[in-house]
Amino acid sequence: MGIHTRTAIDAIKRSPFQAMSAIFVMSLTFFVATTVAILVYASNKSLNYIETRPQIIAFLNNNVKDEEVKLLQSKLSSDIRIKDLKYVPKEEALEIYKKATADNPLLAELVSPSIFPASLEFSVTDLTLAQTVISEVSQEKVVEQVGFTANIGGEKTLNDVVNRLKSISNYIRVGGITFVAVLGATSFLVLLVIISMRMTSRKGEIEILSLIGATPAFVSKPIILEGVLYSVIGVLVGWVMSFILWLYVSPNILSYFGQIPVLPKDPMSFFVLFLLILGIELVIGIILALIGTIVAVTRSLKKPR
Amino acid sequence: MIQFKNVTKNFGSINALNDVSFEVKNGEFVFLTGPSGAGKTTILKMILHEILADSGEVLFDNTNLAQIANKDVPKLRQQIGIVFQDFKVLSERTVAENVEVALAVSEVNPDEWEARVKHVLKLVGLSNRSRLFPSQLSGGELQRVSLARALVINPKLILADEPTGNLDWKTAEGIMELLEKINKEGKTIIMATHHEGIIKHAKHRVIKMEDGRII
Repeated sequence: MGIHTRTAIDAIKRSPFQAMSAIFVMSLTFFVATTVAILVYASNKSLNYIETRPQIIAFLNNNVKDEEVKLLQSKLSSDIRIKDLKYVPKEEALEIYKKATADNPLLAELVSPSIFPASLEFSVTDLTLAQTVISEVSQEKVVEQVGFTANIGGEKTLNDVVNRLKSISNYIRVGGITFVAVLGATSFLVLLVIISMRMTSRKGEIEILSLIGATPAFVSKPIILEGVLYSVIGVLVGWVMSFILWLYVSPNILSYFGQIPVLPKDPMSFFVLFLLILGIELVIGIILALIGTIVAVTRSLKKPR
Repeated sequence: MIQFKNVTKNFGSINALNDVSFEVKNGEFVFLTGPSGAGKTTILKMILHEILADSGEVLFDNTNLAQIANKDVPKLRQQIGIVFQDFKVLSERTVAENVEVALAVSEVNPDEWEARVKHVLKLVGLSNRSRLFPSQLSGGELQRVSLARALVINPKLILADEPTGNLDWKTAEGIMELLEKINKEGKTIIMATHHEGIIKHAKHRVIKMEDGRII
């Protein structure tokens, strides 16, 4: 073990409560950061899912001819704003209805295919274009009515749905990042205070080291190492706590959201996502510790001559 | 090796050094003597670049210390072994670790540490105390640790600031014997002391000071 590592570990052993408070605050920060990162990931995934699944259904007139359908189909296919176009004939519409009412077969028996209109289902490349596309498609002669699928709170237009989803996603992002930033600033200050206290308690030692020719880097190294150690342990503890939490709740979340892939379903992707977050947090944690300790050390080493 | 040329230093209205000039040659053993406040420690601090002269020049190996950049001060100090009256050993490190620190500071290869520490502790008679902490040592032993730390880096110059000030006569004599031995090996020593007995006994050049002047 190097002399600096030994000095850093000795310092931690000498003041275990200072070390514990630094690690505790760091852990809390990175627990929240990991949790928020996953929430942001989940909200992005659900927004992306809703944005990319077929959202618009153009119900066709009852007496529409095959040629007219083909003509409209080809027109919509060539529109660059439209993707995933699919024709749903009356029979298929009935099948969909039967599947949806499988728990009550009587409902399916009461209807005939003729009451279900054929439709063209499609999605748009960018949801901001949805309203324009809906208006344009509504003007088509063969189209009786245009509807949209995503509806999470009684919204009247697709734009409302998108805006609502974007708002939720933004609330999570802005709220989460603000919370993490406040906790990050608190961690930074706690680290600064603890390292400053450490510098004060080592004042005599630092003076001696300086007199025998120690460079500021030599004096600072064990203290910076100590700060980095607090940060790395804090990141690991916070990350592990959040990982266990998500492992525990993810089956319920996945079953609640059904088709929407809010979290990776296979264990490997789930683990890789968390590893990626851990990597980013370690980098941020180390940078935070380096800045905090360097600021504290530089302030303490300034000496009038 | 050391030259003071018309050096003056004031701390506010206190005249710590007043037009001081002297020279210490390579391999010399020089006593700086005088009452408290005469300026002995100020001279040692100036050689260590802890304080700078208001006027005049302090030269170490013909380098004007006033012209040394702050970043080069550690390099200067690594050429100087220093022994303090109050020992200034690191209380939370063992005797061996206290000596190792000086090697680490001077960036000596860690592979050499063990042999050098053993050698220097044997020289000062602390071989059997290497694993003890300062709180377990006597005043004389603590001063030997301080001396071992100064010697282990093989310095060009040793500055000793009242190294016998806190010791009884017999222990002080032991420390002086060690310093004599080191000086005979070719090291330059500047020792600040007001211990008349030691000065008479050692028979080296004496720079006598009073009120910041050489008398």
